[in-house]
Amino acid sequence: MIVVAPKPKSEPKKFKADFWKTKDFKVSIGEIVEKEGGISEEKTPMGPTPKPNVTDLRSWDMKLLGRYEPFYAPFCDMCCLCTFGKCDLLNKKGACGIDSEAQQARIVLLACNIGTAAHAGHGRHLLHHLIEELGEDYPLDLGLNIDIEAPITRTIIGKKPQNLADLDKTLSYVEEQLSHLLSACHTGQEGSSLDFESKALHSGVMDDLAREVGDIAQIVALNMPKGDGDAPLVEMGVGTIDNTKPVVLCIGHNVLPGSSVMDYLDETGQEEDLEVCGICCAAIDISRYNDRAKVVGPLSRQLKFIRSGVADVIIVDEQCIRTDVLEEAQKKNTAVIATTDKMCLGLPDMTDKDPDLIVSKLLNKEIEGALILDPEKVGEVSVKVAKILAPEREKLKLLPELDEVQKMAAECTECGWCTRVCPNSKPMMEAVIAAKEGDFSGFEELYLNDVCYSCGRCEQECERELPLMSMLAKVGEKLAKTEKFNIRAGRGPVQDVEIRRVGAPLVLGDIPGVIAIVGCSNYPNGGKEVAEMAKEFLERNYIVVATGCGAMSIGEYLDEEGKTLYEQYTGDFDARGLLNIGSCVSNAHISGACIKIANIFAKKPLEGNFEEIADYILNRVGACGIAWGAYSQKAAAIATGFNRWGVPAVVGPHGSKYRRLLLGRTDKKENWKIKDLRTGKVMDGEPAPEHLIYAAENMEEAIVMTAKLCIRPTDTGKGRQIKLNHYIDLYKRYHGRLPPDIHLFVRNEKDIPITYKKDVKEILEEVGWEPREIPQEPSLMGMGGD
Amino acid sequence: MANERVIPWQPTVIAGPKQALLVTPETAELMIKKAKRPLFILGPLVKEDPLLTYATKIAEKWNLQVVTTADAYKPFNDKGLNPTAYGVVEIVNLLKDPEWQGVDGEGQHDLVIFMGCIYYIASQGLSSLKHYAPHLKTLTICKFFHSNADASFPNLKDEEWFKYLEKMGEVG
Repeated sequence: MIVVAPKPKSEPKKFKADFWKTKDFKVSIGEIVEKEGGISEEKTPMGPTPKPNVTDLRSWDMKLLGRYEPFYAPFCDMCCLCTFGKCDLLNKKGACGIDSEAQQARIVLLACNIGTAAHAGHGRHLLHHLIEELGEDYPLDLGLNIDIEAPITRTIIGKKPQNLADLDKTLSYVEEQLSHLLSACHTGQEGSSLDFESKALHSGVMDDLAREVGDIAQIVALNMPKGDGDAPLVEMGVGTIDNTKPVVLCIGHNVLPGSSVMDYLDETGQEEDLEVCGICCAAIDISRYNDRAKVVGPLSRQLKFIRSGVADVIIVDEQCIRTDVLEEAQKKNTAVIATTDKMCLGLPDMTDKDPDLIVSKLLNKEIEGALILDPEKVGEVSVKVAKILAPEREKLKLLPELDEVQKMAAECTECGWCTRVCPNSKPMMEAVIAAKEGDFSGFEELYLNDVCYSCGRCEQECERELPLMSMLAKVGEKLAKTEKFNIRAGRGPVQDVEIRRVGAPLVLGDIPGVIAIVGCSNYPNGGKEVAEMAKEFLERNYIVVATGCGAMSIGEYLDEEGKTLYEQYTGDFDARGLLNIGSCVSNAHISGACIKIANIFAKKPLEGNFEEIADYILNRVGACGIAWGAYSQKAAAIATGFNRWGVPAVVGPHGSKYRRLLLGRTDKKENWKIKDLRTGKVMDGEPAPEHLIYAAENMEEAIVMTAKLCIRPTDTGKGRQIKLNHYIDLYKRYHGRLPPDIHLFVRNEKDIPITYKKDVKEILEEVGWEPREIPQEPSLMGMGGD
Repeated sequence: MANERVIPWQPTVIAGPKQALLVTPETAELMIKKAKRPLFILGPLVKEDPLLTYATKIAEKWNLQVVTTADAYKPFNDKGLNPTAYGVVEIVNLLKDPEWQGVDGEGQHDLVIFMGCIYYIASQGLSSLKHYAPHLKTLTICKFFHSNADASFPNLKDEEWFKYLEKMGEVG
């Protein structure tokens, strides 16, 4: 059964006959012209920067970088990118002349380019396939409630994409820009750290475009939910998987192989006979396609789940997959099928072979695994292999017995290196020592909430070669059985009607902010903190949007009544709404929502008008990202894209290893000057948002900083009161006193939250605070750099 | 391994040829004595006893200005240290600016002593100061060897670490 986009519960609004006239609904006329004429010529005014080249938005970047100066933390003192080197850049220049700051910025650009290339490659693969299947004229229909499809494309390219061919053109532009950006990383090109940063910001926005292309393509062509707040709940967790059935596991990010498995099962009437599940974004996207697919969980589950042997077949597509997946799978006699050019694993290309021949070769171990680049064939082969292999593998689905775990633990020499090489210094050695005595509580603590995210570095270091991850998986086995959760299927874009409803309260501050919980699962203390952060902001009336591993982690925790946050909160883009937007590529809809606010609420034209839109978002839209477990280059590109649009982000402590943050300095008053476009006056501004990308040391710090980063210069008095109330409340909870910088955010007495009036006034008096003029239209445009 | 005590606690933080000088409590004290404007940065890993008390005694003995990171402010404030709270990346960002006037507004610090920040983010902060703050020295008195610092305690077992800290906080 293919699940189509769920229908709204309520009837569509019945409009009066003259509605379209009163709304000046010219788009429908435009669509007819387009279909007849073939080429779209929208009659919208074109802004100054359609299809910007690498340097066209440089002046905007320099304004951002002037206010949010790069903070570099080298991960390595050396540069080893060319044969001049290695060069030691500690207080020295390299042989090519590069200094340490420029080298860090170069690595940031390189990371962003890798991330952008991953999304662009992913989008390109999807598009090729979909155009081949459906034709390039296939229309982009996102449903009646989304008129502003592709707000990023409209703003950057300057044109509304109408069909798959238009997406193809957008992607070609991204690929061209990416060539220039990657070229700048070559030895002897760019020499300025700030220009490297400007290019990284450009790369981030190219990543935005690539993600928007990828997600729109899959939404329209595979009929995924189209901005549906009521998208179905999908089963999640190891405990939801019936391992008495053959199990096919999809790992990665590309939906096509997994969707083909679902199609094949439906077409052959076997939908009840097999379990299809996924890890990472492939899981989210397959469940957007068909809600019978199950989500194992975020990236942090990967090695534990592979080791559990539950999967009979593993299909890998692209991005964030363990590169030793073949070796791991072979230990459990799990068949591996690689499906994209990004990850071939040294396997023979069986794309053109007969499916039954591939099945036979896989089952007879004539080949180690198969590379099959045709998704339809993957569907058929994987199902056939899983059905035959599953009964043979029953014993392999078992992990070592607990008494064996105890025996293995007894071999531990207590050298302590397992703990030392753990990225989070978690007490693996203590867990093993306790297990010697039959006490498995240490392992249980590591297993629960993915406190150990099973990177396996401890095993690599163990001098006794103890299979620590298998021991962990065994101890966690009984806990895993109870892991039964629900996640709302990824809903895709935010609807225009939703923006209309919340645009004003968001811009004016009545809804305190939009919190975007995104990114991977490189968490410092397990996934539970992500759910705790989501809950904190939901209870405070914020809108919480989520994608990828973050969206999965939010769904993994139950309240006292056994409900997940997805079951407790609405999926609408509204105060106290918890939205699973979708996978990594769906992050485009988060910046897209901010762009829509500028367009719908402030009537800012989008086409070719990047700087005005970003300036609006930076100064007015109280949105902040939290990428608590960001680890990948894709996450670097995503965050950098958000930043260029004016959306700040808080990353976890591991995010400091990206080498660069963009931090504001509240003690430098001149950095916060703005121009009031209403009066033309350049005036003192406020540090709002204070930072553009910030690494927090722990969850408590992240929560407080996130609340602070939702403050914007245009908040109304009431809105500011609400935002400061949350900031003070949270700061007080974790520090036991009022924030000492509160005076920086009080413009006049109307901003002071009533609950804290007396205390705040005391601070204001202490620091000699005086009321400030509030700008009507604060802007960085028309300031230095233009 | 023979040199296990001076391999960075998380060994892969090794950044290059320059490594921190291994120090004993006595050398650490000499560094503090020599400094004109030392600053003591205390992180969330030492916000509970006995470390809370050890750190407090050291701050009191040497009359150190104190910055707390993450959520370490309250316990140290309750101990009467009158700390200033910053995010670890915020304070490092300020420290690397030679023009910054320090937590009391009377001039940039010349020695920064770290204790109790999460290892890898502290390591990144120390790297930042190593590269971009030639005007100051860094000293870590955690139980972990920090190769990106100018001077660091070696990797220590709790018992030995506590003795080190006791020595540094002893009056008289």
